[in-house]
Amino acid sequence: MIQVTGLTKIFPSSGNKAVNGLDLHVEEGEILALLGPNGAGKTTTIRILSTLSGFDEGQVLVAGYDVDRDPDKVRESIGVVAQQTGIDYFLTGRENLVLQGHLYRMNKQDIETRVKELSAYFELEDALDRQVATYSGGMRRKLDIATALIHRPKIVFLDEPTLGLDIKSRKNLWSYIEKVNRELGLTILLTTHYLEEADKLSHRVAIINAGKIRITGTPDELKTSIHGDSVVLAFEQNDATINSFVYSLKGDPAIRDTVWQGNNLHLYIEDGAGIIPRIALLASQQGVQIKSLSLSRPTLDDVFLKYTGASIESTGKDEGGDEWWKQWAGKGSGNWQKKWGNWQEETTAEENSVSTNQNDGGQDQAKPQENQTKETPSTTPAQTEPAAAPWGNWSKEEMEAWWRDKGGVPDAWSSGDGQQNDSSQKSGK
Amino acid sequence: MLADTWYLFGKYMRITIRMPWWSLFTLVQPLIWLLIFGQLFKNIAQLPGFPANSYVDFFVPGVLIMTVLFGSSWSGVSLLREITAGTVDKMLVAPVSRVAIVLSRVLHSAVQVLAQTLIILAVALATGAATSINPIHITMAMLIVFLLGVGFASLSNGFAITLQREEPLVMIGNLMTLPLMFFSTALMPKEMMPEWIDYIAMINPINYAVEAVRAILVGTPDFGAYTKGLLIMLVFAGGTLAWAVNAFNSLRD
Repeated sequence: MIQVTGLTKIFPSSGNKAVNGLDLHVEEGEILALLGPNGAGKTTTIRILSTLSGFDEGQVLVAGYDVDRDPDKVRESIGVVAQQTGIDYFLTGRENLVLQGHLYRMNKQDIETRVKELSAYFELEDALDRQVATYSGGMRRKLDIATALIHRPKIVFLDEPTLGLDIKSRKNLWSYIEKVNRELGLTILLTTHYLEEADKLSHRVAIINAGKIRITGTPDELKTSIHGDSVVLAFEQNDATINSFVYSLKGDPAIRDTVWQGNNLHLYIEDGAGIIPRIALLASQQGVQIKSLSLSRPTLDDVFLKYTGASIESTGKDEGGDEWWKQWAGKGSGNWQKKWGNWQEETTAEENSVSTNQNDGGQDQAKPQENQTKETPSTTPAQTEPAAAPWGNWSKEEMEAWWRDKGGVPDAWSSGDGQQNDSSQKSGK
Repeated sequence: MLADTWYLFGKYMRITIRMPWWSLFTLVQPLIWLLIFGQLFKNIAQLPGFPANSYVDFFVPGVLIMTVLFGSSWSGVSLLREITAGTVDKMLVAPVSRVAIVLSRVLHSAVQVLAQTLIILAVALATGAATSINPIHITMAMLIVFLLGVGFASLSNGFAITLQREEPLVMIGNLMTLPLMFFSTALMPKEMMPEWIDYIAMINPINYAVEAVRAILVGTPDFGAYTKGLLIMLVFAGGTLAWAVNAFNSLRD
């Protein structure tokens, strides 16, 4: 139903590739979840597929039509539920549905039967003649989906359909999405950063990062691709002994993968329970203190971690309702917009570069960047040290070294000791 | 395209009628001008060479045009709101004519100011203005009002699309209304204006709208002056509308 090959989208204001050679195939009647962190290109992909955005390279076929050549044919075959509910708050539910029907050039009778069907389907009959402003968040979402279905589309795009809903409304909405897929045979492409949503709702999951699909498969396939169990270690200290400890763990043939996530080390092991005593022994031999150790079956989060180099729990949090504004701010031709656009894409580029760096290192990469930066001050002179002190641009390390050469570090820098050098005498007076 | 425009226009009208207080609220300012400014400048009419019997008669066309400006110059703000709410995207993913999206907004705004202007005219007549009450004359004046409303609503929508921010849009809206009023014969007859303002008035569309409405409503109807104003209004409305539609079409990223 959807066939995307080599899709590339470059934002004209900065040249940043929001989508970079994306390939995607969605079968008729399936629910496919695009799972990815903020800035991965999910919304951009949906916007291109629904004819809202143009693109630079590749081919996009939706329901058999080329989005570039036959946008109106594509529009007739799709329903779109965007992150912002596009329904009008001042109109009633019925008026929203009827207007949408008119915009799809349906005739009056057809619209009437459709409104009846859909309001019954989504249990909105009682609220149908109330203004949408009085609806709850879950009801607005349901109405939004109903308006997207009014013209009997074959494909529905859902961009973060349950964002901002409480758990009860979310589960309720899931049941509706499953129902329309099962009963109406709708093909559904949804984006989400909720793992549970991708896991429970979709037939297949495509993990997207930095504008590319990293892997596609059923949730179970993806989990088994991780092999065996997942063991997560957290450490008390943060020094060189950890490095050698991790190094010797990597030498263990039973451990298939090691991935750092923040200060947690994830190990993927065929028989997790069997290896725990060995890890504990090795740790005590090398003087490494383990803060906590947990053993679990691999989840989609582990899959996500493996293919994007970051846990979705940590990357997805700040994705929120203001993404639309960045989308729109990227357009237009004003000067400030360019600045804003550059800034916007710089920040996404940063996010991307962090994750690709970790990715390039492979699955058994070295310690993450956070740890490296903690170690750097001793090797590189700290140029960022504030220069407020009278001794100029010296870093603390350099000063300590200087004092050690002079024969010991004094307790207070400005104590006025006669042995001190000229710079500290200046500071004393 | 026409059907799409009609349904979207219907939607905006329905929302406006549902919240009548908002439309009435924009009438407060022209009413204050009419009732207070008209009284304050009463004695100007006694100056030699003043072209009307009373200042209020002279001022009524100015207030009508002012109502148009206050009513239509903010149309773009609600377009920005629709963009941020996702309503525009929802229209764009449907096979809706792109022209209809802008056209329906502009028409709605023009019809809205038409109704507001009629209310102001009624108040003016009720408080003693002696402008023409011939229905044909009033209809002709309303045609100018409608075209000017189309023009300013198009400008506001066009700026909304190109600026994409509310603050500069409001600033431009302010600039479009009051200063342009002073650079026209809305408040002062041409003969009493400094010469340099007269030159600015020559390129000010508001000036031609005021003159055309005055030509038809105040004193003996001057159809020649009216036709000149009507033609200029047609060009102004058509040009700004084409610009706004074009700006909207180039929005796709």
